[in-house]
Amino acid sequence: MRAGPATLSMSAALGLLYVFLYGPIGYVIYTSFAVDIVWPFPPSFTLQAYVDLFSSSLYSEALTNSLTLATGAAVISTLLAAAGAIGILRFRSRYRTAALLIFIAPLFVADLLIGISVLAFNARVLGLPGNLFSAMAANAIQGTAFGFLIILAQLVRYNWDMDDAAMVFGAKPLRCFFEITLPTIWPSLFGAFLISFILAFNNLEISFYTLGAIPTLPSVAWGSLRFGLGAELFALAALVNGFVFLVFAVMYLLMRLGIVRFGYRGG
Amino acid sequence: MTGVTLELQSVTRRFGPVTAVDKTDLAIEQGEFFALLGPSGSGKTTLLRIIAGLERPDEGRVLIGGREVTDLPPYARNVGMVFQNFLLFPHKTVAENIVFPLRMQRASRAHRDEQLKWALSLLRLDGLGGRYPNELSGGQQQRVALARGLIARPALLLLDEPLANLDRELRSEMEVEIRRYQKELGIPFIYVTHNQEEALTMSDRIAVMRNGRFEQIGAKTEIYTNPASAFVATFVGHANRISGGIADIQGDLARIEWGGGSVLAPRPGSAQRGSAISVFVKHEDMAIHGAGLNGKRPEGVNQLAGTLRDIIFKGQTANYIVALPTGDDLVVSGTPRAGVARPNDAVIVSWPIEAGACFPREDA
Repeated sequence: MRAGPATLSMSAALGLLYVFLYGPIGYVIYTSFAVDIVWPFPPSFTLQAYVDLFSSSLYSEALTNSLTLATGAAVISTLLAAAGAIGILRFRSRYRTAALLIFIAPLFVADLLIGISVLAFNARVLGLPGNLFSAMAANAIQGTAFGFLIILAQLVRYNWDMDDAAMVFGAKPLRCFFEITLPTIWPSLFGAFLISFILAFNNLEISFYTLGAIPTLPSVAWGSLRFGLGAELFALAALVNGFVFLVFAVMYLLMRLGIVRFGYRGG
Repeated sequence: MTGVTLELQSVTRRFGPVTAVDKTDLAIEQGEFFALLGPSGSGKTTLLRIIAGLERPDEGRVLIGGREVTDLPPYARNVGMVFQNFLLFPHKTVAENIVFPLRMQRASRAHRDEQLKWALSLLRLDGLGGRYPNELSGGQQQRVALARGLIARPALLLLDEPLANLDRELRSEMEVEIRRYQKELGIPFIYVTHNQEEALTMSDRIAVMRNGRFEQIGAKTEIYTNPASAFVATFVGHANRISGGIADIQGDLARIEWGGGSVLAPRPGSAQRGSAISVFVKHEDMAIHGAGLNGKRPEGVNQLAGTLRDIIFKGQTANYIVALPTGDDLVVSGTPRAGVARPNDAVIVSWPIEAGACFPREDA
């Protein structure tokens, strides 16, 4: 089959869209391997930026903090989002829509505002200092909202009569959840965990206000930016993007191979 | 009482302003196949869910095997259930689905395996244990659901329209099979359906339900031949309705005046002369004759003259549609003998007086 002009122009438009979305990121990754980061043409490659990155103790401490922060925020987000989604679907109420909107409203609040608000609230009202735990909680605000949407999307197709059946056959509610509900909905919990993990890992504004002097990867990158673009920043950006890409690639493969299935499989 | 497996005492369940189940009493004997028959919205599924513990009654008591279970959750009741859409666990294999109740009871591995083997062979599922539910046909899924309901030898098995999603042929095959399992195992089955043929084919006793109440409970032949209300008369079997007023009362019989003449029917209990009334006569209780019979009027038989409008051939039987001079149609079910009459022939429809079931008119 020969491609007509319509197909060709659509393909070109799609290509341009991808360049628009990923061109800058591709440029950063390309530059991280370049000898001259200011004008990396013609290409000449070195791994010096990565050597600098790994030899700096600041970055490794920041990486540990970021991973801890992201894991904590993702756990909190997934648990709250799952509980919220199950609650909203199972217990019908007149205020259901309102409850749902309040769950996703944090998505529309600027990160900066969340950061400042949490800082002010924790310091003035609760008298809490900024630390990793308050940063986890603050990052979980948006993570919960995103996770809620992801879990809800799968859970609306879950047939709660399954739980009735399990209970008639002798399963207590908790057993029922782990035997029947969880095996069916875990891909969405996993998705919610990944998204909130990546959000918290990459976040600067919320973490910046709640962490004080504790470094994370984004805050160290931001800080070093003030002394000019360093080659190791390009390397860091490339690694973080590579990591995120890897996560998505694994998810994609799991779905393609049918190990993870979204949606309800059954008769 | 001995032999009573399930007892409901004045069970009531309301949903807001709607009373789904209204002060219902019921006793199910050991080994009985009991059908709850009613149109959708009559409360039969709610009643079943109350027995299973999935719904809590607002009033009344539920006893299973003499033990009060009204406040017990479903997992403490030892009942089995087969659901309308099967509700097999999609992520578990057939074998895992079937042994689920035994696992929940913490039965030993050996006992589980032994029971699984028994259930697989009883329901002719041998060799399918490793499959997933979405790899089975509708009939196989149905049998897995039955196996899961039966494997723990529950005190009773509840079936909620289990055949509604199967095609016609499979359904009639499963009707016979389900009844066979029930007789083999001796466990009482409570079978909810809106399909009167299912109820009549499978059950020993039937309760006809309407608006949360039992209209009639009895042996299926009793329900069929001796309906207790106009609703039962129309809902069970296929009946012609003749509506009119009582012109005269002669002992046990009422003469009913109606547009097309007068017919005799057994007198309904409290009916007075002049009260509006409907007579229900089952299609197969009516007979059709050629017009030559005119003039002879045997004792104890009603006769009406009409014109044969159409013959609906159904195989074993045929429905003769007879137009009466009043404009009403009567349906007479008979053997499809050729040559009784042809469309547009003048015919006589007759039926024994005692075949008419007579009730005060509801729609008046």
